[in-house]
Amino acid sequence: MGPVPRTLELFYDVLSPYSWLGFEVLCRYRNIWNINLQLRPSFIGGIMKDSGNKAPALIPRKGQYMANDIKLLRQHVQVPIQFPKDFFFVVLEKGSLSAMRFLTAVNLEHPEMLENVSRELWMRIWSRAAEKAGMSAEQAQGLLEKSSTSKVKNQLRETTEAACRYGAFGLPITVAHVDGQTHMIFGSDRMELLAYLLGEKWMGPVPPAVNARL
Amino acid sequence: MGPVPRTLELFYDVLSPYSWLGFEVLCRYRNIWNINLQLRPSFIGGIMKDSGNKAPALIPRKGQYMANDIKLLRQHVQVPIQFPKDFFFVVLEKGSLSAMRFLTAVNLEHPEMLENVSRELWMRIWSRVSAGLWKSSGRVLDDFLTFPSHIFKVTILPSPGGSTVPVTPLSPHHLPAECSFQDEDITQPQSILAAAEKAGMSAEQAQGLLEKSSTSKVKNQLRETTEAACRYGAFGLPITVAHVDGQTHMIFGSDRMELLAYLLGEKWMGPVPPAVNARL
Repeated sequence: MGPVPRTLELFYDVLSPYSWLGFEVLCRYRNIWNINLQLRPSFIGGIMKDSGNKAPALIPRKGQYMANDIKLLRQHVQVPIQFPKDFFFVVLEKGSLSAMRFLTAVNLEHPEMLENVSRELWMRIWSRAAEKAGMSAEQAQGLLEKSSTSKVKNQLRETTEAACRYGAFGLPITVAHVDGQTHMIFGSDRMELLAYLLGEKWMGPVPPAVNARL
Repeated sequence: MGPVPRTLELFYDVLSPYSWLGFEVLCRYRNIWNINLQLRPSFIGGIMKDSGNKAPALIPRKGQYMANDIKLLRQHVQVPIQFPKDFFFVVLEKGSLSAMRFLTAVNLEHPEMLENVSRELWMRIWSRVSAGLWKSSGRVLDDFLTFPSHIFKVTILPSPGGSTVPVTPLSPHHLPAECSFQDEDITQPQSILAAAEKAGMSAEQAQGLLEKSSTSKVKNQLRETTEAACRYGAFGLPITVAHVDGQTHMIFGSDRMELLAYLLGEKWMGPVPPAVNARL
């Protein structure tokens, strides 16, 4: 048996475009690097409040920068991400509390579906109308009901607090547990540094696919 | 004759640690990629004011994150950068206007020296702890020491001016392993001159440029360069502006060099590419 996989915790919110990019890159590397990727649905609104930070898009030049940045990263990272025209409405008015509670419920009841459902939610906001995530209508309805229970609300709160304790002032954060040390890395543009910390090879945001199964 | 080199403009301020990292990476690639790297000394205070942004370190968790981030990047990018504990004092009280005016003067008169002098100024803030900060703040020595104890040991050197620096005895658990203190900063004229001389400038040359720093010509040039960065959309530094195939791309930060390579159609070999023998 080989060395023990290193645990990576990815704290994310579907409201965060960079969370989607970081998520896709790590999903690609989970079958290449010796890692155990744990997805942690979190609430970015709670992190902003707790850290005293503000959404970058509230500074006009940052919002403009992000729009261009996302356009370039779409090609470079090969993720069908588009900056929605009504971004402010999406971010400031709608928020992500229901979506992240829903994903928390998915993680509690059907964790094997968390990756796909997360991706579909990102697609809704950041790409196009969602396709089916493979969940039946009944399943989805059941989870939607569970989303408003104390159990799920508390779980989302705890996960968000865990991110805050790791020092988060935004999302995504990747927490890597390596050789008895814990490193918190912010953003989707530090994956090469993450590879360095893991002693793994960085092959860009779109590594060659690996046939993981024999 | 080969294809025309693509122009990259690097807007930077020596107060910005990520500017140093971006600068060193681009200096390494200037002999590998088909680029023409143009250094643009800018004033980060002006950019913050104009964009409505604020220094990241003003959010406590961001300041803490930066301190850890710089520690990791030091090894990954191989630049001797250290986060001074009294970062707030460096950023908020001292500022970088004199230093950036000096670099603007260097760029006008001796542009071939701009790279070296910029590097020496970064070294003053980001590579060695300033005992001057400590002295004038009236705080105890161990407030300034964050270095891991297995790496540094404290040795106090007399400051160049001859003033004695009071030493506060340190308890064993505060005593790091080595680090030398010199009376350094970047706002006093003698500090800027010292950096220029370390970069290979003569005392006369350095003095001449220091005098030129306070002329309208130099002040206006720094203002114009800073405004150019703002027009490119800067809300902080460093920014790299790449002119490629008739398009202009502004890239913020030192952690997007792989994306820059992608835009240039060049190969990314990490922050420490193998040295290339550029001359035949």
